Amino acid sequence: MLRIKLVRYEKIKSGQANILKDLKEGTIIIVDAKFTPSEETNLIHETMEFISDKFSGIELGSVSQYNLKGTLFGKFRDMLGELVMGKRMGITVIGPAKLVRRIESHPEDILLYL
Amino acid sequence: MVLGRHFGKIKNKFASIARRIFRKKKDIKIGLYGPVNSGKTTLANKICMDWLGEELGVVSVIPHETREVQMKEKVTMNVGGKSLSFALVDIPGIATKIDFEDFMRYGLKRSEAKQRAKEATRGVIEAIKWLDEMDMVLVVLDSTRNPLDQVNITILGNLDARKTPFIIVSNKIDIKKSDTTRVRNSFPGYDVIGVSAKTGAMMRELYRMVLKKI
Repeated sequence: MLRIKLVRYEKIKSGQANILKDLKEGTIIIVDAKFTPSEETNLIHETMEFISDKFSGIELGSVSQYNLKGTLFGKFRDMLGELVMGKRMGITVIGPAKLVRRIESHPEDILLYL
Repeated sequence: MVLGRHFGKIKNKFASIARRIFRKKKDIKIGLYGPVNSGKTTLANKICMDWLGEELGVVSVIPHETREVQMKEKVTMNVGGKSLSFALVDIPGIATKIDFEDFMRYGLKRSEAKQRAKEATRGVIEAIKWLDEMDMVLVVLDSTRNPLDQVNITILGNLDARKTPFIIVSNKIDIKKSDTTRVRNSFPGYDVIGVSAKTGAMMRELYRMVLKKI
């Protein structure tokens, strides 16, 4: 059975949610914020530590609420959102690689290939 | 504990800035980052052959051939009257997944495949650690593949956040289904150049861009 879990960004940030445990158990995680590049690399780093015969890693995709990636105004909006809300507005989808074949992150949507 | 982690991050950031400020010009490091099998080592070999007359690493069709950071120091590039001396760092490909069974499809025995997977995971961790060491990065992408891969986005996002100068190298333009325009359109506002590390096409232009960028 396919399991999808919506996790609040604040719970991950505060260490209350162990998404790697969920991912290892075959759950697809949807986070209500866009991870920062540094959070993404931290997640990849942690994932690599847990690679085994049963867990081959993750597929990851994120989309910003603002379709302004790379522009100065987009960065300003991201920064403002981060300051006010404490997180980057958008969503991040993470799936176990054994379950999710590929995730494509487009500027306005995310595609999951199961 | 959370405070400690934040303090550690701040300390690392300051150390990185200090390193950049006090690093001598001759210690410039140019890294080759990118996803697996995008042709990073082929490009590193081409650069080293052009300016040193010797290759840097072994190339293979089996993913994760480069599982350790490889470096060639004192590479001196001379183009159009400009010169630059640097260390070229070939970084293992970054991936979010490593499945030993994928290696078995290339004919590796189960034990060999498991060992390769283990080394590849260490390679990815090394690649991430080296991000702070770079003065400039060539992000090598396979122009025949979809550029909107999360690994590519994560690498570019990290370089952007660190303010590390970088050029997106759309490699393998010698292959018919190569599409540098798609790479360019996927990452607007960034410097993109299409090259073939294998045939050497557009390498001169890449060297000019590197000298201009650093």
